Amino acid sequence: MQEAAVIENPLRAGIRLERTAEPCTVIIFGASGDLTKRKLVPALYRLMQERLLPAEFAIIGLARTEMNSDEFRKAMREAIEEFSETKRVDEDVWNSFAQGLYYLTADINNPSDYDKLSDLLNQVDRERGTQGNHLFYLSVAPKFYGEAVKQLGEHNLAKPKENTWVRVIVEKPFGTDLDSARALNNELHQYLDESQIYRIDHYLGKETVQNLLVFRFANGIFEPLWNRQYIDHVQLTNAEMVGVEGRGGYYETAGVVRDMIQNHVFQVLSLVAMEPPVSLESEPVRDEKIKAMCAAREFTAERVRAECVRGQYGPGSIAGKPVPGYRQETDVAPDSATETFAALKMYFDNWRWAGVPFYLRSGKRLPKRVTEIAIQFKEAPLPLFGEAMQQMTPNQLIIRIQPDEGITLRFAAKVPGQVTNIRDVNMDFRYGASFGIQLAEAYERLLLDCILGDSTLYARKDMTERGWELVMPILNEWAATKDKVDFPNYEAGTWGPKASHDLIERDGRRWRRP
Amino acid sequence: MQTQQSTVSTTKGIDVGKIEKELAAMWKPADETRDSQADSGVTRACTMNLLVYSSVVEDRAGIDEMLDTVCEQHPGRMLVLRTDREASEPKLDAYVSTRCRVFGANAKQVCGEQVTIEAAGPIIETVSSAIAPLLVPDVPVFLWWKDIPHYEDKLFNHMTEMSDRIVIDSSCFDHPHEDMQRLAEVIRERGQLMSASDLNWGRLTAWRTLMASFWDVPDYRQHLEKIDSVTVEYDPPDVAPDQIAPKALLAVGWLASRLGWSVEGKGEGEEDGTIFKLKTNGRVINVLMRATRREGNIDGMLVSLTLSARDSGAEFRVAFSKDRKKLETEASIGGAHSVGRVLSYEQKTEGQRLSRELSLLQRDVIYEEALLSAVQLIAAL
Ligand SMILES: NC(=O)c1ccc[n+]([C@@H]2O[C@H](COP(=O)([O-])OP(=O)(O)OC[C@H]3O[C@@H](n4cnc5c(N)ncnc54)[C@H](OP(=O)(O)O)[C@@H]3O)[C@@H](O)[C@H]2O)c1
Repeated sequence: MQEAAVIENPLRAGIRLERTAEPCTVIIFGASGDLTKRKLVPALYRLMQERLLPAEFAIIGLARTEMNSDEFRKAMREAIEEFSETKRVDEDVWNSFAQGLYYLTADINNPSDYDKLSDLLNQVDRERGTQGNHLFYLSVAPKFYGEAVKQLGEHNLAKPKENTWVRVIVEKPFGTDLDSARALNNELHQYLDESQIYRIDHYLGKETVQNLLVFRFANGIFEPLWNRQYIDHVQLTNAEMVGVEGRGGYYETAGVVRDMIQNHVFQVLSLVAMEPPVSLESEPVRDEKIKAMCAAREFTAERVRAECVRGQYGPGSIAGKPVPGYRQETDVAPDSATETFAALKMYFDNWRWAGVPFYLRSGKRLPKRVTEIAIQFKEAPLPLFGEAMQQMTPNQLIIRIQPDEGITLRFAAKVPGQVTNIRDVNMDFRYGASFGIQLAEAYERLLLDCILGDSTLYARKDMTERGWELVMPILNEWAATKDKVDFPNYEAGTWGPKASHDLIERDGRRWRRP
Repeated sequence: MQTQQSTVSTTKGIDVGKIEKELAAMWKPADETRDSQADSGVTRACTMNLLVYSSVVEDRAGIDEMLDTVCEQHPGRMLVLRTDREASEPKLDAYVSTRCRVFGANAKQVCGEQVTIEAAGPIIETVSSAIAPLLVPDVPVFLWWKDIPHYEDKLFNHMTEMSDRIVIDSSCFDHPHEDMQRLAEVIRERGQLMSASDLNWGRLTAWRTLMASFWDVPDYRQHLEKIDSVTVEYDPPDVAPDQIAPKALLAVGWLASRLGWSVEGKGEGEEDGTIFKLKTNGRVINVLMRATRREGNIDGMLVSLTLSARDSGAEFRVAFSKDRKKLETEASIGGAHSVGRVLSYEQKTEGQRLSRELSLLQRDVIYEEALLSAVQLIAAL
């Protein structure tokens, strides 16, 4: 058992007090980097202000950049002022938070630096009363994940001492293909137990993704319809308006399948396709997710050619502004064959979904930033209303993940009048409208969950590998035929290449306009 | 926030059908925009019914402002009853209006609706019969009683009966001690039938969270069983400066009910303030409640809450900063100061507090038990 024994706190009882984390130290590897200042430290500051973190809390930043703790504090204060919503910090409040900030100049590759880290951790545990609970956040390039964990292990920092815990958050991307993901998992497992590893997928931190579980399993009316008998097909759209935003170098080695589909899109997909879990604890939920993904039909070279479409944007315009094509972006090869768009047709070969196609598409420089799932139900068995029904689409249930999180049900109604004219109407539920609440930043939720030891919203080993396993035939086939692509094949600001429309229209269906 | 208003006026009773018609008419332009531009226009949202009872002396703009805030988080049907009990001439008027806010990237308008009923004279007793049919079915009904609860009053009883939860504010009590005793009695009598929210209890949540979080630390846990002294400082209530502020009583009531301390009676001591003697498993806990000199216009606020254990020299303290804008916490064991912290404490508006209460539907058993313990303290005075 690596969790510290949870003690009952009689003063915590009741409906108003939220769960608060145990004392601990968060050690950020890559503390001089972008993610630390944009997301991690602002999120931890906010959690503290929301009284969700205990006083016995500390952050140790670690990177090679020469800095002392005071300089680190100053940099973090500027970061919070720049990137957090409040924009302004109170002097006393800041000082009290800053007392718990430390910095260590260290190189991940230098073993002797871990002795310094170990000493600092002991000092911080004493000074801040953090009880020996340690959370290592690897906010560094993926090539360092393995080394960092190995060094932690060899310096006795990876195994928890009695009544304490050690957890490690690993950022994305997790591997670049199946072999590298497996190798990385093996490296991590040499020193860590799976229950200590938290692989981040910030999509899972989004409120609506969590709500999918509630929506499906807390409402009695949807689950009976959630299968091949009533559902015609499912569409999952994950569209970005942005291009590669200066990360051309990275993107050239990735592409949308690696960057988005094998992780985020599959995570969301598994929540749609999974069976009800026996409980909402992290293991049962993750068991069902992987079970669903294991039922996903493997892609063969033939299926890739017939049911997978790739695209790359050329020059076009976004929101009225002209934008360059992918090949014109910095650090991108002028003849690049990297895909910035992909559409796939998937099947789950199980009782629930046999024969129901799942159409997925994800891409950059599409007309609208939107992530949504559209469940299209089958048509009414008998067209009682003849012609009047022809202009109608069958019932659709749309679950929007971003932006404007919400759920829409589309059904038919009679247009008032003497003749029977039927129109589609939308029944809308918007989280923002109904609960008018600022949804918490994904990183806040994920960090808090990890500190609380809840891994439901993190990717498990088997899921990361399964994601890669499924996409490898696609990546291989596309790599083998990369000379044959006619890129660019869609204009920036449009819904992807024609082939993507053909893919679904061949089956007598259409992409929904999100 | 935009509002649109129309009037349904009648002196002889309220025509419910007419009000419903007016409401429907008000939505019509909204529905038309919606049809013509599939993805913009107005969303009519209804998450609850909120009944508001206030007397005409209450400032109308203040209530409106609060409802604006509430509507942001909980759009729904607001039924506002403004009463003039003193008037001899009966009067009954109703107005309907919508409350809208713009939301999201594509400037969606999300609207709720409001019916305001103004009633004066003896006719007030009958108003609840006009309210019942105006409730939107299936969504919860909250009653915000913006006055001292009139427990014997027919209208109060009818309105609480049709509500899932009643919201009051014990900081507004005229006679804090007697009113709290009466509230406790009513909650005890009605049991399952009435669940109550006290805005004043909501104000304690931050304090309770911080006090509770000391005991999440394994090293501190052992001291909880040794606490033998509690000191509470509070701003005296404006209405009755010689009485202990309800919030301070609730804070001690909470500790006592959670930690199984029973009230033995008043204690002796030289200190300025009131001392109570509480007991658990043979251990005596002295509770000192002391009014501070008032600073600013914060009425009935808690100023500090300190728990200590003489034996182990442990002290746990949550207190307001001097400027009353921050909360400070500190734990010290045997004279050695451990980490303390300073957190910002946003003074929430009444509307924000009310909004928070409207997200809770379950009975707040912890509150009820704290109130019962607080009432035992009052009885010992
Ligand atoms: N930024 C985002 O929004 C975002 C989103 C999703 C995922 N991620 C992932 O998050 C991780 C961090 O991203 P980032 O944007 O913060 O990257 P970044 O700005 O490049 O930061 C990298 C950090 O690693 C440190 N570092 C590099 N080599 C090191 C070494 N040998 N020893 C110790 N520290 C070393 C760097 O500090 P020094 O140079 O001072 O050593 C720097 O602090 C990456 O894995 C990225 O894929 C980032």
